[in-house]
Amino acid sequence: MSDPAGRGTDGPAPPPAAPTARPDGPPPEEAPAADTPGERTPVGETPTERTPGEWMAPTATAPAGAEPRQRLHPLSPALHGAKSLVVVIAGLSWSTLSRVGFGWFALMAAVLALGATVLAVVSWYYTGYHVVGRELRVHEGLIWRRTRAIPLERLQAVEVVRPLLAQLTGLAELRLEVVGGGKTEAPLAYLSVADAAALRQRLLAIAGRAAAETGTPSPVEVPTGPAGAPAPPPGRPLHAVRNNDLLVSQLLTPQAFMIPFGVAFVVAQFLSEDSWSFIAVASTLTAMAGVLLQPVRRVLDDWNFRLARDEGTLRIRNGLLETRAQTVPLDRVQTVGVTWPLLWRVKGWLRLRLEVAGYSAGEADDRNRPDRLLPVGDLPTGEAIVAEVLPGVRLATLPLTPPPARARWLNPLSRSRLGAGLDTRVFAVRSGLLTRQLALVPYARIQSVRIVQGPAQRRLRLATVHADTAGGAGAAARDRDLAEAWALAAELTARAHHARRAG
Amino acid sequence: MSGDGSAGPPPAPQPTAGPLEPWPDTVRWQSISSDLIWVELIRLAMLLGVLSLGLGITWAFSGSWVFGSALGLVLLLGVLRGVTIARAVRAWGYAEREDDLLVRHGLLVRRLSIVPYSRMQFVDVSAGPLERAFKLATVQLHTAAAASDARVPGLRPAEASRLRDRLTALGEDRAEGL
Repeated sequence: MSDPAGRGTDGPAPPPAAPTARPDGPPPEEAPAADTPGERTPVGETPTERTPGEWMAPTATAPAGAEPRQRLHPLSPALHGAKSLVVVIAGLSWSTLSRVGFGWFALMAAVLALGATVLAVVSWYYTGYHVVGRELRVHEGLIWRRTRAIPLERLQAVEVVRPLLAQLTGLAELRLEVVGGGKTEAPLAYLSVADAAALRQRLLAIAGRAAAETGTPSPVEVPTGPAGAPAPPPGRPLHAVRNNDLLVSQLLTPQAFMIPFGVAFVVAQFLSEDSWSFIAVASTLTAMAGVLLQPVRRVLDDWNFRLARDEGTLRIRNGLLETRAQTVPLDRVQTVGVTWPLLWRVKGWLRLRLEVAGYSAGEADDRNRPDRLLPVGDLPTGEAIVAEVLPGVRLATLPLTPPPARARWLNPLSRSRLGAGLDTRVFAVRSGLLTRQLALVPYARIQSVRIVQGPAQRRLRLATVHADTAGGAGAAARDRDLAEAWALAAELTARAHHARRAG
Repeated sequence: MSGDGSAGPPPAPQPTAGPLEPWPDTVRWQSISSDLIWVELIRLAMLLGVLSLGLGITWAFSGSWVFGSALGLVLLLGVLRGVTIARAVRAWGYAEREDDLLVRHGLLVRRLSIVPYSRMQFVDVSAGPLERAFKLATVQLHTAAAASDARVPGLRPAEASRLRDRLTALGEDRAEGL
C-alpha cells in the first residue's frame, strides 16, 4: 500500500461492536480478528451515557486508581454568559428595541444574560473531566447527570477552537470527533490554552498508542505554543492561503453581487421617506448582513489558512476572530471534494473539502463542520494538496468517462459534465454544470455500494451507482449504462475489498 | 481474493438478465416470505382507514370539495398501492455472497445494496406486533455510513436468527470497521 505514513488503512481498527447497546446486536463472544490485528476494546468503548446516582458531584471520590476529576477553567461561565448576551440581544431584535426604548432593552438583556451566567456557573461547578485508561470521561449536569466515556481509539479528529473572547482571555475550547457520535462529543469549553494543548497532546498520544499496538506508527505530537492566529501549525507546511485571494474569492460569490442592490435599496429608502429612523436603517443593515453572512463568515473563518503535514496527520489552522487548530489523521479522511464555483472560473480557482467520519450532518451549525482542506486556490495548488492527502491521485488525469449519449434525456445540459471513473486508489465522480464538482472516495473507505434505478432510468436502461462512506454523502455516479453500472459496482466492491485487505 | 463472488462477476452481464438480477451465475437470490404481503396490506388498510376517516369527517363538517377530492385521491392511490403490493414484496430479495450481502428491493425505483460483511457495525432484528402475528421479523445490517441500506423484512424467525448469527460471525471474522 502506498500509504505514506505506513498506517493501516484502518489504523486503530474500531471493533464491529454496536455503537448503541442493542439487545439483538452482535453476540459478545470474542472472535479473533483474522485479517487485521484489530484492537479489541473493552465493552463500553462507544460514547455511552450513564446516570448512576452515586456520582453526586465532581468532588466525589473517583474510582480507585483513576486520576482526579478536573474542572474547566473558572472563567468559562463568564465567557458563556457573554456569549449568551449576544444571543439574547439578537433574539430581542431591533423591533423590541424600538418598542421599549433603550433603558428597558438594556435591562432585559442584562437580566437574561445574568440568568444564563448563573446557569453557566452551576453547570461549570458540576462539569468535570478526566482520563481513565483509554477513555476520556466527561461528567456533567446537575439534574440530568450524565457521564460520557469517549474511547480514544475512535478519535477521528481533534480541534482547538478559540473564539474572540476566548482569545482575549487566553482560553480555548477543545472539540473531539468520534464515530458514532451524532454531534461533536465533549466540546470542553473552556480550558486555558496550555491545558488544551497539553490535553490534546495527551489524547492524541493515547489514541496513537492504541494505533501503535495495532502495528501502525503513532503520530508524533509536537507541542504547540500559545496558539495565536499567525502561528504556523507544526510539521511540514504544505500551503498557506493568501488573504488577498480569500477576499477576492468571497467577492466572487452570488451574495457579494447583491451588495449594490442592497445599497440601492437603503438609499431608495432614505430618499423616499422623509422620516427615516435609526431603527429602519438598522433593520435594513441587519437584513443585508444576513445575506452577506456566509461570505463574511468564510473570510473570517478562513483567514490565515495554514495547512501542514505532520507525519500521518494533517494540521489545519485558520480563523481571524475565532481561531481553529484542527488535527486530522490522514487515514481518517473519507472523501475529498473539489468544487469549481461558476464565478471563480475567471480566476481558475477551486475549493477543496474533506469529509471525516464524526462530523455528521447532525451538527446544526455549519461552522462547526470544519471540512475545509483549501478555501481557495489554483489548480496546481489543489493538485499538490490532493496528491498529499490521497497519494497517487492526479486531478488532471483522472480516468473519467461520461455516461452514454442517451443520458442527455435526463441531463440535457450537464451530460458532458457528468463523469465517473476508477483510478488506482480512488473512485472519482464529476458532476455539475455551473458549479463543477468532483468527489474522490478512496476504495478503502467505501462502506457499501448501491445501485438505484428510477422509472425514467429504467426506460433508458440507465442506473446510478452510489459509493457510501462513513462521513459525508459519498459519491454517486449518475446515469451510467446499466451493464456498466453492474460492472462498476462489482469492480468497486472488489477494489474496496482489496484495498482493505492490503491496508 | 480466493475465487469468491465479488471477484468474478462477468464484466459485462448479459442484457437479457433482469435489471434487478446482476451476475446471475454467481448470485443465488433468496426471496422473502409472501406473508409480508398480508402485513403490508393490513398496514396500508390501517393507514388508509385513518386518513379517509380524518378527511371524511373534515369533508362532512366543512362541505368543501377540496377534502372530497383529496379523499378520492387517497383512496385511488391506496388501491393502486394495494394492487402492486404483491409484486413489491416479490421484488425484495437478498443474497449472501462470500464477502458481502446483497439486498434488492423496489418496484418503481429499484435499489440494490452491496454491503461487505467487514463493514458491519451491528445487526438489528426487529418484529412489530403485526409482523409477530404473521411470524415474521426484519433483519437490518448497519454500517458506519448512514446511506447504507441493507434491510431484509419478512423473514421467518428461524431464518432471521440464522442470518443474524451468520452476519455477526462473518462481521467479527472480517472486522475492518472504518
